[in-house]
Amino acid sequence: MNISADNAIVRLEDVHLSFGQTEVLKGIDLTVNRGDAVSIIGPSGSGKSTILRCINALVQPQSGRITVNRTRVDQLTRESERIALRKRVGIVFQQYNLFPHLTVLDNIVLAPTRILGTDRREAEKLARELLEKVRLAEKANAYPGQLSGGQQQRVAIARALAMKPELVLFDEVTSALDPETVGEVLWVIRDLIRDGMTSILVTHEMRFAEEISDTVVFTENGRIIDQGSPEQIFHSADNPRVRQFVSGLSGRGPVRDGEGI
Amino acid sequence: MTAATLFQPRRSSKILRNVGFVALPLLVLVWSLADLTLGRELLEWIPYLASGFAMNILIALCAMVLGTLVGVLFGILELVPYRLLRYPVVAYVQIFRNAPHLVLIFATTYIFPFEIVVFGNYLPFPDWVKAVIGLAIPASAYIAEITRGAILSIPTTQWEAAKGLGFSRNQTLRRIILPQCLRRSLPPWMNVAASITMGTALASLVGVHELLHAATDASTAVRRLDFTVIAYIVVMAAFFTLCYPIARLTRRLERRFNAA
Amino acid sequence: MQDINLTDLFVSLTGRLGLNYEFLATGYEAQIWRDGFITTLYLIALLIPVSLVAGLLFAACLTSGRVWLSTPVRAFVEITRNTPTLVQLMFSFLVLNTFVSDLVGGAQNNPLSPFFWVVAVVGLHIAALHAEAIRAGIEAVPASTVEAARGVGFSQLQILQYVQVPLAFRASLPAIVNNLINLVKLTTVGNAIAVSEITYASIMVWTQRDNVVSMMIVILAFFSLINLVVARIGLWVERRLAVPGYGL
Repeated sequence: MNISADNAIVRLEDVHLSFGQTEVLKGIDLTVNRGDAVSIIGPSGSGKSTILRCINALVQPQSGRITVNRTRVDQLTRESERIALRKRVGIVFQQYNLFPHLTVLDNIVLAPTRILGTDRREAEKLARELLEKVRLAEKANAYPGQLSGGQQQRVAIARALAMKPELVLFDEVTSALDPETVGEVLWVIRDLIRDGMTSILVTHEMRFAEEISDTVVFTENGRIIDQGSPEQIFHSADNPRVRQFVSGLSGRGPVRDGEGI
Repeated sequence: MTAATLFQPRRSSKILRNVGFVALPLLVLVWSLADLTLGRELLEWIPYLASGFAMNILIALCAMVLGTLVGVLFGILELVPYRLLRYPVVAYVQIFRNAPHLVLIFATTYIFPFEIVVFGNYLPFPDWVKAVIGLAIPASAYIAEITRGAILSIPTTQWEAAKGLGFSRNQTLRRIILPQCLRRSLPPWMNVAASITMGTALASLVGVHELLHAATDASTAVRRLDFTVIAYIVVMAAFFTLCYPIARLTRRLERRFNAA
Repeated sequence: MQDINLTDLFVSLTGRLGLNYEFLATGYEAQIWRDGFITTLYLIALLIPVSLVAGLLFAACLTSGRVWLSTPVRAFVEITRNTPTLVQLMFSFLVLNTFVSDLVGGAQNNPLSPFFWVVAVVGLHIAALHAEAIRAGIEAVPASTVEAARGVGFSQLQILQYVQVPLAFRASLPAIVNNLINLVKLTTVGNAIAVSEITYASIMVWTQRDNVVSMMIVILAFFSLINLVVARIGLWVERRLAVPGYGL
């Protein structure tokens, strides 16, 4: 462990992963510093979501090193060790995946009380604070089925934050949403990043990525093709593929906007 | 990782499912060969047992034919707009759907006379026919519900679409509505058929000579515990070999129709 | 005093309709019949929890992903589903019960009564049906919801406890209620091994009185009523557990 290096909270080194015959990650190297926001962009099927699932030990790579705050994730063999890691690393999914049979409040309280053993009253207090933060305080007793997609996604973010994670992974969290509700979710994430939460985002929202990221990473076919500051990637990329991708997107009609709120 | 844990048991349970077709008969065969005195004894009784099982099949077939005819009619009657017609049918379906098969077999056996008079001729009214009626009654109640459900599940837009294409009312019913109804009601109908087939064993309790009755006869005659065991395994094997393929086919149809 | 008068009134009123309930006025036969109803109700009250608990256990085995657990349970489920319950009961009573008797040294030492065998056979039969329903329910829980639970840090067991089972139970409830209605009907197979449930008790009466139609009316009404209650309770539970926006 190289301690001197380090402000790094996540480090991936030469990570290879395949599902059966399909090679999904072909040698990923990535470093994320504490307090940074890193966006991963690139065409569909380039392995972006798989990178997040590796960091959270939801999938196990065949080779390479993954370090999350001194934990060697690739060396975890027991489910209990992976669970211990997941307590520290929050993840928010594209499909929100709230538990449909629990109220909004119970969705947030369930994990802290059952996994961390937090006192119910304390967990509820935190949950209400988080709901305030995602602007859904009045929906505490609603069921997920009664909320819009954007509202459900905000609850999912609150659910992840309730575990007080060291970093949060956002997996295309706005891709399944109606255009009208994308903005409210991006708003919440922007707040979070400004508060200094270490975040890794897989996203298709280019304007948003440009605005909030410290580093932007471009992946294609299971490899990182280019990475740098938003300015570098979006406006002065050397790599022709990146230039093509970025310009192709900006010409794709009205860009979804999180700013107007 | 997840793929591995999901697929492994799938494959082994597939083998297991296909073993199911022959496992019980194979058990009987192996045991008969292992203990030849038992095998010979069993071989002697096989024709008697087979005649019993033929009775089960006969009762099941008759009950299903009768039950289907009455059930389809009642299912349609459950939807007619005339209360005077509808209410008695709804009551019939509710009562007999909830009644134990055994109670209905007792009812028909003990209420109907042992012979009936037709134009001055005395015709015997055998117990197995009473058992047929006893099982046809619940079958008709289940099938009435299935029919009703199938008709209700066809959206009215199908009628309109067919009309729009220039089909006549008759053609619409025959070519569009009925085929869809059939498709939907086939799996539950097969479930009823399997349940009625297994219900035929109850006829043994009112003295009908069917498989279970035959096995009991045989085991009291032979008076060997191992023979009693194998005789009942034969009974299970017979029903299983008949009902298991039906159940498998039903599940397959259900899955196919659900996917479509 | 008044009780007897009411009985007499009922007997004479129904007598005018051509029905014969005279035995109700006698002590002995009325007692047998009443005990028959009680035995049936007792069987049902005992079998419902037995079948549910065993069904949950079977379902856990079926979905465990461990072949040595799921294979025997799967085999049992298929056999019990595809053979008549009456045959299973006769087999258990005549074969298994004899083995137990031999094991404990004679039938007089055998603690297992016919009543036990009815509870065991019918209970496990219905449990197998429950297990299939619950298994289907568990498999219907979206993989993404399970992944989310894993992502939060729940263990396999916690996911089962807090996510999969609550959702599966809701999805399989209609099938479970249907199984319970079958359970109520199946209690009558006890007749075959002289458990004095309602059909057995009724036979004792009508062989003396030749009043099958009168008895049948009451028995059918009795089973309709029980099953109506079971269905109603099922519906009530379904409504109570219903979650807004979750398709059921």
